[in-house]
Amino acid sequence: MKRISLILWLSLITTLTLPCGKVAAQQFPSVNGRQFPVNQMSPPGTAAQWAANSGRGNLEYFQPVRVTLPTRGLVTYYEGSPHRSYDVKAPAQASLVVGQMYRMRISAMPEFPGVEFYPSIELIDRLHPPTCQVEDFPIEFELTEEEFEWAANGRLVTKVIYLEQPERVPVTLLDEKQRITTIEPSQNAIAEADMLGRPVAIIRLGGRTPDPNQPDPRFFGPGGPIKVNQQQIQQEMQSASNSPLKNLENQTSTVKAQAGVVSLRKGTARRVAQR
Amino acid sequence: MKLYFLALGTVVVVCVGCAMDGHQGINQSSGLGGPNLAGLNHSGGNKGEYHAPPPAMMMRPGPMVDGPGPGVLAMMGPGGMGGGGMGPGGSRTFAPTSTQVRFVGPDGMNVGWQVPTGYAEHQLVTPGRYNFMQASTYRLKFSGIPGREGLVLYPTLQVYPTHPNTDAYLSHNSVPIQLTNEDLDQVESNNFVTKVIYLPDARFQELAIANVETLVSTRLDPGVDPIQEADKRGTIMAVIRIGNMDLEMQGQAGCPPLASGDGSDVEQVTYRIDGDRGEMVPPMPIGPAGNVGTGTGIPNAMMVAGSGYPGAPISGANMPPWGQPITGTPIGLAGPPHLPLGGPASLKSHTVRNRTRMDLPKPVDHMLVDVRHEPGLSLPEPVRYVEYTEKHPVYRPGELSNPAWNVPGNGQGYGPGPGYGPGPGYGPPGQ
Repeated sequence: MKRISLILWLSLITTLTLPCGKVAAQQFPSVNGRQFPVNQMSPPGTAAQWAANSGRGNLEYFQPVRVTLPTRGLVTYYEGSPHRSYDVKAPAQASLVVGQMYRMRISAMPEFPGVEFYPSIELIDRLHPPTCQVEDFPIEFELTEEEFEWAANGRLVTKVIYLEQPERVPVTLLDEKQRITTIEPSQNAIAEADMLGRPVAIIRLGGRTPDPNQPDPRFFGPGGPIKVNQQQIQQEMQSASNSPLKNLENQTSTVKAQAGVVSLRKGTARRVAQR
Repeated sequence: MKLYFLALGTVVVVCVGCAMDGHQGINQSSGLGGPNLAGLNHSGGNKGEYHAPPPAMMMRPGPMVDGPGPGVLAMMGPGGMGGGGMGPGGSRTFAPTSTQVRFVGPDGMNVGWQVPTGYAEHQLVTPGRYNFMQASTYRLKFSGIPGREGLVLYPTLQVYPTHPNTDAYLSHNSVPIQLTNEDLDQVESNNFVTKVIYLPDARFQELAIANVETLVSTRLDPGVDPIQEADKRGTIMAVIRIGNMDLEMQGQAGCPPLASGDGSDVEQVTYRIDGDRGEMVPPMPIGPAGNVGTGTGIPNAMMVAGSGYPGAPISGANMPPWGQPITGTPIGLAGPPHLPLGGPASLKSHTVRNRTRMDLPKPVDHMLVDVRHEPGLSLPEPVRYVEYTEKHPVYRPGELSNPAWNVPGNGQGYGPGPGYGPGPGYGPPGQ
């Protein structure tokens, strides 16, 4: 009888102490026992803010990044304002500061004529190349045509770029292409990237465009200092002065320079015609 | 023996019941599979794991700490922990204050909206998009619908404020609104159509790439509120309600008045804003939308005082209306109204108990961090003893040579002369 009562007590204790966890709808479970408070659903800028607070942000070090498009196009880096920007032909390289968020404009793509995209880059860590070869090792952002199609259809593409941990990369997968892994929506993309290496940047691509008449400065984000190779840009622009790309860009800037409501109507009509 | 099996069954039932917490339907593996990466797969359904609060809770300090209120600083900005004025750098987020609404279809439909002087016509042609300020309700005007001549609709559009869950989406994407033929048929059949556009939570998303979903009231079971249903599945971004009410009937208040009231067809001269003439006017909010804090009539954490100007107290004018509580509860909910309405207030107290199950550890008093380097640091012993011996040779007279210029009695210094070159120079002593 004593044995049975002991079992009863044990079962009662087990009942009371077993954890019955319930995960809220927007919570992401821990990964291998580690909790990642930041995920792809966190407000943009949170990861960069935490990176800056943890000392990774250094205003004296500019981390080169390079945006690669499916074929060609124009990438505009904004320094936190629509009036402070740098146009660079794709593949577009510029140097940004860790711990900041930047808005970009991607335009003049032959696959999407007349369509502009405004992705954002959130730098959360840097690379450590040899001192004299910093410009030779940028963080690569490869955007595919499929991702642009998703964005044009109203979807939000979030990509976490990470530096692979050598012992976690099978030799058979080592090639020049960037490996893109699509994960389930319920998984934490930053945690998954952390499993395979060191997350260094987040890029978000959607279909929202600023008001062509009165662009909201907040749309262009907090921004930060940008360093570009002006000499290279001037050479590229001079060599492309007679190309169709330049002409298209001139047309775009002409339309934007028009003030008043007429340009909005024209812009709207242009978008309607392009659809 | 029976008790033994009863206890064993209890243990089994409890274990299995607690293991099924509703997340087993979601594949928690990392998806990075393949034979080479099989070791990296993991399961997110482990017991005893920790879960961070959702972003909305992470951004706000919590009840009685969040403000504004007596002795409490103002609430943090939209960025919360990620910005909102924390630190000298200011906000690092995009902090969208407007929602870009994309009117997808039907193609060629004219979209106007209410402005202070009436309705601004033809402001957009679908497909088109416009940035509406958040937390507001707007009255729209749909006209020129292809295939439905003469049909003019006056829907309301509620643009909800941004939420930490929708912050990333709204700062990069537009919210699509589309009127289908089914919606228009329902409206013409005198039915009321409510469409809720929301961003589903991660567990309800069917595709890997985040996209919005739309709940239509006509496709739900009778009695199901589409807003409540959408709120369960995700975060609402916009709500559009469509009926067939005509808001511009002749002679109606707010419409162009007739010159005389006896049926004359002479209209008083008024100016109508028309987008076809290039006239664009921003829409006028007609009310709040979503949870906008004090705008919804719910008192905030501050004690609400009356306006205090002299005169007789007038309910609803210089004092709160009857039944309207003036004090917010610590958790932000309004207190109970004084019921029955119209009678004297009799409520003496009310109690709100927080029944949330919490497993929050106590704050840390003393922190200890053990740091270890592998391999450890190893340096040679520092110098602690130095022996220095200086030997001075001793020469007897005649063992050393002496420069000529130093010969006693020579008296010559540097320069040409006997000191250098041929002549009396270095030489053995005595020469």
